[in-house]
Amino acid sequence: MLSRSAERLYWLGRYLERTENTAKLVSVHMNLLMDLPKGVEMGWQQLVKINGSADEFYDKHKVASERNITKFMLTDAAHSGSLLSSLTAARENIRTSRELLPDEAWEQVNEMYLYTKNNLDSVTNRRNRVLFLKEILKGCQRFTGLLSGYMSHNHPYRFIRLGRNLERADMTSRILDLASLLLAESRSDELRQYETILWMNVLTALNALLMYRQHVRSRIKGDDVLSFLLLDPNLPRSVCRCIIEMLDCVGDLPNNQAVPDCLHELKQFVYAIDTKQTSQLQLRAVLDQLQTHLNACHQQIASTWFLRQT
Amino acid sequence: MKSIWENYKTDLAYDELMLSEYQPRTISHGLCQYLNSLKKTDIDKRKLAAELAIMEMGISFTVYSDEGNIDRAWPFDIIPRVMAAREWKVIEQGLKQRLKALNCFISDVYGEQAFIKEGKIPVETISTSKNFRHECVGMRPKHDVWANICGTDLVRDKDGVMYVLEDNLRVPSGVSYMLENRVITKRVFPELLQGINILPIDDYPTQLQEMLASIAPNSDRPQIVVLTPGIYNSAYFEHAYLAQQIGAQLVEGGDLVVDDDDFVYMRTIEGLEKVDVIYRRIDDDFLDPEVFRKDSVLGVPGLMRAWKAGHVALANAPGAGVADDKVVYAYVPEMIRYYLNEEPILPNVPTYLCSNPEHLDYVLAHLAELVVKPANESGGYGMLVGPHASAKEVEAFRKVVVANPRNYIAQPTLSISTAPTLCKGKLEPRHIDLRPFILQGENVFVTAGGLTRVALRKRFVGGKLVARWR
Repeated sequence: MLSRSAERLYWLGRYLERTENTAKLVSVHMNLLMDLPKGVEMGWQQLVKINGSADEFYDKHKVASERNITKFMLTDAAHSGSLLSSLTAARENIRTSRELLPDEAWEQVNEMYLYTKNNLDSVTNRRNRVLFLKEILKGCQRFTGLLSGYMSHNHPYRFIRLGRNLERADMTSRILDLASLLLAESRSDELRQYETILWMNVLTALNALLMYRQHVRSRIKGDDVLSFLLLDPNLPRSVCRCIIEMLDCVGDLPNNQAVPDCLHELKQFVYAIDTKQTSQLQLRAVLDQLQTHLNACHQQIASTWFLRQT
Repeated sequence: MKSIWENYKTDLAYDELMLSEYQPRTISHGLCQYLNSLKKTDIDKRKLAAELAIMEMGISFTVYSDEGNIDRAWPFDIIPRVMAAREWKVIEQGLKQRLKALNCFISDVYGEQAFIKEGKIPVETISTSKNFRHECVGMRPKHDVWANICGTDLVRDKDGVMYVLEDNLRVPSGVSYMLENRVITKRVFPELLQGINILPIDDYPTQLQEMLASIAPNSDRPQIVVLTPGIYNSAYFEHAYLAQQIGAQLVEGGDLVVDDDDFVYMRTIEGLEKVDVIYRRIDDDFLDPEVFRKDSVLGVPGLMRAWKAGHVALANAPGAGVADDKVVYAYVPEMIRYYLNEEPILPNVPTYLCSNPEHLDYVLAHLAELVVKPANESGGYGMLVGPHASAKEVEAFRKVVVANPRNYIAQPTLSISTAPTLCKGKLEPRHIDLRPFILQGENVFVTAGGLTRVALRKRFVGGKLVARWR
């Protein structure tokens, strides 16, 4: 397999996961805000904090209104973190890798892209936005499903999975980062009152609510949620599961000495996180370190398989 | 309700489907009956369905503009074109014969040059050809085949005779659109194929794969790659499509490297891997900066070394373009007689060579009636269509021809055949051509049909396409 193709498929996996995560995030956040009374400190601005683009957002917009934020997150082509930008990048990567994937994979991504292009204006309207996000989430799942069912689970497949899981772990850590704000000592009594709803939404954002109930069997508490989302080995979007998936992929890839080491190190780090005894500040610092670890894994993957030997 | 056939005129030229306004040809009887059974709204719906399918399948070509490169959906006419099997059999034989003779000629040009020595073609015609490559003299590609993939353009004149307009031996494109057109036609008119006997065309990728494997230097399971100039090339869709269809790697110049052992390798996740066959979609000029254009960043330094050492096969072989020249074209019938000892099955369009003083006199005296083309350009660039040109244009072109007669040929204006084409919900006759694709490696193969391009306006420029049937 060409190094260039490996790199493109890895990024295809990452960008599509990012597309799905962005859609999911906006969708869950919208639901959350509908549940909360006006005036609590949760607002649309939280969304741009999650993907670290608050500065970029405020360069363009004065007010963090629903309209501005959703446009920025979903359809702003000039914002590299928007859903449209992720999907466009995914499409470019798959367009240049068509020879490695089943036809349906390309058609699925292309269809989603065309759908997004045709609905750019409709996302400002809540009802249309709900439909739009649902369609995107379905499309991403369809892509994952048809690859799993139509494609040999070979090297190209492994690189897509690798990218997807790295991106997924990254997004989970970002969502936890946001959740950590909820632990702030200074939070208002009013917000404390709605804490359960907030944690439920965090779980929903990661498709983890049902599994949490089955698995944890306790009422929804912050530290339990945190530990479930970091450490559960079976939940698809827990950081631990993502690492297991990545280890599984790289085990079958050639010349792979350095990458598993890096991933094991990451795993040790995650296992050592104690969610019971952490203050908000400590937690934020830990999640920061987690992101640094993930980035190191990415660098190692790139230097092992993508960078051209001359 | 008005019929889609309203005011359909067939007096413009030979019409491929209709004998007259009301009378289909025998071959298109079933097709026309079927089309007439559809309501106009049905036709509109199916046209829309075809456009949607093209968008979703991402069948596109790249258009260059100041605002950046745009990926455009491929324009497609849903009305199929059919052709009788009996007629096609003859054309198929003619195309095979032609490519075999052309390959004998290219081998001869880079070998003994018997054709030239016996005075069958002036030596200057070859020595001044832009596509003659000195670097190829003495090379013997496998099976002595230089042009492995050929796209030959055919047009039908008003007398009903099919003429060969040109042979594209460098990097002919269009075959993927032909294949996808059939897929769409099957989607849009599934009922139609129940009633009419149509030959399948999906065989092409298999044949292409086999042909490429047959030219591998020595390997049971050769590593085949498709070399593309990259995503900004207008035919990138086709490169990716073909690579996928034949299970080959799609590579760019930067993915390949020629090592000190003069073998070609590609950079993979496992390190360097040997490449045996390269289906290159890059022009000779850009193939190897060590030999041809030094500024080429699309090619692979050292590729010619590896090829000449017999370590890698290139399809088409460098230098094959020497026979893709409108002056050399005029000599193809003679090549068929000379190398194959056969009479040509498919006629050439009568051609005047401006390098020949007698022909030049005739051409200059009849400029306003003729089509004058440069010898080495493709795609209709830099040509004069006498009957459609102003007196001023004709005079300007006269100077150009006189300055460099070797570079021009002239042909009578043909009345190119038409076929019904859907224009704004109504059928109108539009001029069409036909490009079948011919493969030659160990064996020779011709696609069952070809790509039909349709002139959008009355004059023949570029076009959209129809699946070719028979």
